[in-house]
Amino acid sequence: MAVPKAAVALRHVKSVMVRLCPFQTNVETTRIFLEHVNSKKARASNINCVVTTDVRHDGSEPVVDIMFADGDRLIMKGANLTAAEMLSAFNSRCIAKDHKAEEKTKKKGA
Amino acid sequence: MHFERQKLMALTEYVAPNPAVPETCITPYIKAVKEENGYAKLLRWQVAETFQDSKMIAVCQHNFTPSEEMLLMRHRLRKHNIHVKFFPNEIVRPYLSVSKYKNLLPLFVGCNLMLVSPEIKVKEMLQILKKVPQINLLGACIDNTILSNQGVVSYSKLPALEITQGQVVGTLSLTASQTCALLQHSSVHLTALLDQYIKQQSGGAGETDGEAGEGQAELGPAKSSVGLDASSLTTSCT
Repeated sequence: MAVPKAAVALRHVKSVMVRLCPFQTNVETTRIFLEHVNSKKARASNINCVVTTDVRHDGSEPVVDIMFADGDRLIMKGANLTAAEMLSAFNSRCIAKDHKAEEKTKKKGA
Repeated sequence: MHFERQKLMALTEYVAPNPAVPETCITPYIKAVKEENGYAKLLRWQVAETFQDSKMIAVCQHNFTPSEEMLLMRHRLRKHNIHVKFFPNEIVRPYLSVSKYKNLLPLFVGCNLMLVSPEIKVKEMLQILKKVPQINLLGACIDNTILSNQGVVSYSKLPALEITQGQVVGTLSLTASQTCALLQHSSVHLTALLDQYIKQQSGGAGETDGEAGEGQAELGPAKSSVGLDASSLTTSCT
């Protein structure tokens, strides 16, 4: 599985909630995503971001719920997603928010 | 050309031999047998030993933890004789698929660590893991029973074995003691009533001494016989 080596940046993220049932067979990608979100660089990018893991045993699908600082919410159901897809979806939204923030600062400066 | 010459030429025509079959088509391809890595053998032996010697095996998701926190966690766990083990999934999965811990296979995906101990100290382990939010408990195998996260938490809330054994013994003996009390109940009640009657009679003895004395004499043997019956019943119950 080709997982991007680029670090996950949690600058615009308020909280990350990961719910999974570890005895199921479709949680591998969600667990890999969780490892990336908990990596050293990711944690260093935003110390205030809260990452919670809800480990259950009810046969439910693995779900990643990301709350952004500007109120946006990204819910990813990782049962049929690869880790690369989840990370690219998350990173694309982070990059979009970076652009928005840059435009705002330019407008304020001008 | 003359016919004989033609015939001779046809007879002596060069017939090229069939090209030989190349060696690569004949000789079978022998795959070189890869010798097992000695380190892999050692790890496999260690995994087998760990699973055999431990009564409590907890599997946790290992996200990045700063080395200081990891060191502190290992120190606190070591105080309770709980060891932190890391094994590669490629070594553990084949061992698990053959052993009785088959149902733990789905847990060994991604980055894991194992907390193993020959004793069962679930409460202490959970208290220490609470302080390290990066380590998430996925499941455990305690006393040959596979438990989920909630199972481990409820196991920690159970009372000690001696207390539960005492409760069971108490419940079992309760029925026998109740039977005894039921059997004795009628005779005990009768003796109490007679006692009260005697007291009432003796209270009225100040008015009529002779009659009270006769009444008491009559009651005396009856009371003693009732008392004897009650005592025989009690001895038969116990």
